[in-house]
Amino acid sequence: MISVSHLSKTYQNADGSSLTVLKDINCEIQRGEVISIIGPSGTGKSTFLRALNLLDPPTSGSILVDGEDILAKGYPVHKLRQKMGMVFQSFNLFEHMTVLENVMYAPVKILQESKEQAHEEALVLLKKVGLVEKADVYPSSLSGGQKQRVAIARALAMHPEAILFDEPTSALDPTMVGEVLSVIRQLAKSGLTMLIVTHEMRFARDVSTRIFFMNEGVIYEDGTPEQIFEHPVHSATKSFVQRIQKLVFKIESDDFDYLQIHTGINQFCLKYNLTVGEHAYSLIKEVLFTHMRTIRPLTLRMTHTELSGVTTVDFMVENLDHSPLTDAARASLRPQVKDLIEEPTKRGFRIKLII
Amino acid sequence: MRTKWIYLLFTACMLWSCGGNEEQTLVLNSEADLAGLRIATQSGSCYDVELSPRTDIELQRFNTLSDALQALLHGNADVLLNDETALNAYVCREQGIKPVLRGEKAYPTSFMFQKDDKVLPAAFNNTLARLKAEGTYDQIIDYWLKDRYIDADTFPFIPVPTEGQPIRVASVCATAPLSFASGNEWYGLEIDLLRQFANDLNRPLDIKFYDVTAAIMSLKTGKADLLSGGVFITPERQEEFSFGEPYYAFHSTYFALDPDSENSKSGLAARSKKAVHKNLLAENRWQFITDGLLLTLIISFFAILFGSLLGIVVYRMGESRLHWARSIAKIYNGFIAGIPELVLLLVLFYVVFAKSGLSAEVVAIIAFAMYFASSAADIYKTALDAVPHGQTEAGLALGFTRVQAFFHIVFPQAVKRGLPLYKGLCISTLKATSIVGYIAIQDLTRAGDLIRSRTFDALVPLLAVTVLYFLLVWLLAALFNLATKKKNVL
Repeated sequence: MISVSHLSKTYQNADGSSLTVLKDINCEIQRGEVISIIGPSGTGKSTFLRALNLLDPPTSGSILVDGEDILAKGYPVHKLRQKMGMVFQSFNLFEHMTVLENVMYAPVKILQESKEQAHEEALVLLKKVGLVEKADVYPSSLSGGQKQRVAIARALAMHPEAILFDEPTSALDPTMVGEVLSVIRQLAKSGLTMLIVTHEMRFARDVSTRIFFMNEGVIYEDGTPEQIFEHPVHSATKSFVQRIQKLVFKIESDDFDYLQIHTGINQFCLKYNLTVGEHAYSLIKEVLFTHMRTIRPLTLRMTHTELSGVTTVDFMVENLDHSPLTDAARASLRPQVKDLIEEPTKRGFRIKLII
Repeated sequence: MRTKWIYLLFTACMLWSCGGNEEQTLVLNSEADLAGLRIATQSGSCYDVELSPRTDIELQRFNTLSDALQALLHGNADVLLNDETALNAYVCREQGIKPVLRGEKAYPTSFMFQKDDKVLPAAFNNTLARLKAEGTYDQIIDYWLKDRYIDADTFPFIPVPTEGQPIRVASVCATAPLSFASGNEWYGLEIDLLRQFANDLNRPLDIKFYDVTAAIMSLKTGKADLLSGGVFITPERQEEFSFGEPYYAFHSTYFALDPDSENSKSGLAARSKKAVHKNLLAENRWQFITDGLLLTLIISFFAILFGSLLGIVVYRMGESRLHWARSIAKIYNGFIAGIPELVLLLVLFYVVFAKSGLSAEVVAIIAFAMYFASSAADIYKTALDAVPHGQTEAGLALGFTRVQAFFHIVFPQAVKRGLPLYKGLCISTLKATSIVGYIAIQDLTRAGDLIRSRTFDALVPLLAVTVLYFLLVWLLAALFNLATKKKNVL
């Protein structure tokens, strides 16, 4: 249904600098697919979605919808958008209209439906999203979750073939996320083609037929929810889906700023609610100043995997083919950690402390 | 019932306005006795010039004779200096004043022409000579200066040609007996002379009532052929303009309140009833007001209409991606913000469009539209910026075109936010048009002035004009409120 190739988007800033948000996007989307687009913030997920209905026209590349090039000059964009609804993060309900009018307005004005017919359909849709009793109120009196459900009903009223969801729950209180997701879940079962930019991983996993993992302006990995969440191929995908957090220091010589390491570890632990901060710091001090005192430069990395709750401290040395630890060192460290792993890597050797 | 209330209102105002009368007769034996007195006179007049060197008096300068008279009546001035004709016995009786001293000076008076105009002054001199020879001159002087006209229902009327190039007369006087308006016509001593003059030249007359400054500018810029209204011939004026032969020499006269006048004795109710009759009903003077009202409405309506449209252009230019367009909008707004409305009006009329032949009304519409546009552009921006961009995007995403999204979704919301501001702008523009009198447009305010100069009564015409402005503003506001009433969008 939608075929995207070599799509890119560059913003020109007023000061002459430019920012490339989408680098080279390629994908095929079939009718009836429910695709969740996940990835770190600022990697172009929303921009990609908004490029598909040309709210943010791409800089280069091509988009074919049902075989037609929608970037061609003179292509009736508004016709495309009538087939491809959109739900925004900030709802964007028409504030000067009642809920019912919000839903009826486009069908009456664009599809030339009779008011009676549009009214009837709007009520059916509002019933579907559970808001039929709010039909005659103005959006300003609705909660965020209710507004988003009206916005979904409004998009559905145009009988679209596809709907683009741009972070539909990101502006909501946590208590209201559920009501909106359950409406989208229900829609996903109806066979409507859907693209959803979301940060709700469990939802993405449950509802999607396919996941795009976007990173640094490209679709980094594309697969079924099982592939992406259970067996990610790329390390970036893995660290994202497992929510692995990292803290890295490069230690070039003995003159390194160990206070900076201390502060860094404290902030890292505070951020992810870890209690192992002081323990990690004393271990790092012991390794750096006793067991691996002669080994410079090295890279120190602290990682925390939110899904499994595992915290590790790694010491990585380049161009080294054997463990720098002595038996005495091992004997000193082992009782203080859950596990001690010594392993060669592509570029050298790694000591991994699991704490 | 309603008329009773109006009389009551006037009575209350009269009561208030009569507070300052003193009950003593002022006795003056010579001009030396003026020492220490407050003297009201017309600014820029010969009396002004005559008294200016004296340091032992307090000279008060007013734009019109009626303003000066009001100062005398309300006790703000002790003496009024004017010529003997305008404040004749009838006016004195009506107003409760009397002449207390005849001045030493007499001023030869004539019409004032453009400096390099040799033809019209000479032609006027011929007319004057003819009238004197025929004896018509004596009849005219006799009729207007001996107060006989006062009780007349109709005034002598000499028809003039209606076809041809009119003689454009800028009159600075709307006061009997020199020249005054009644119904749709002008009458008076000078008017009779001018009619004779027009007949001799076989040309029509076009008489407009000007503010003094505006009249002088009109004559200088060629918008008028001659200036009338009892212009004294002085050496200073002769340097700048040319004059005809003097048709009369007016004596300066000092007036003071007359404690024995009937006026100060008659009852308040009778006086207010009389004031209403005199100012609004006699000689159908209300017609000045209705005609002025119509002009005020026409000028305001078109200024608002064209101003709103021009405002769109200014707004679009201000928002343009093109640097030069933004600059023009910025300069335009700065320019308008920095110039008083009156100055712009005068500059447009006497300088920019001086040679264009555009009527004063059209120039007024242009000036106020220019003002309106600048503020309107600001209002458009405020209102449109207040509608979040998400509203447009939501409209586009549903399949509206850009134009549809604007008119269906953004515009109704912007109107809601901008209309109160727009309403305020329309109302202040309506009120601001009250300065168009400066370019000789007889609008509502000027209509009040016209009646005032004829009747020397400040209160009733001013009150009538005030009430009408108030009603206009109220109506306009009501109209807007009607427009903002909630309507179904579908």
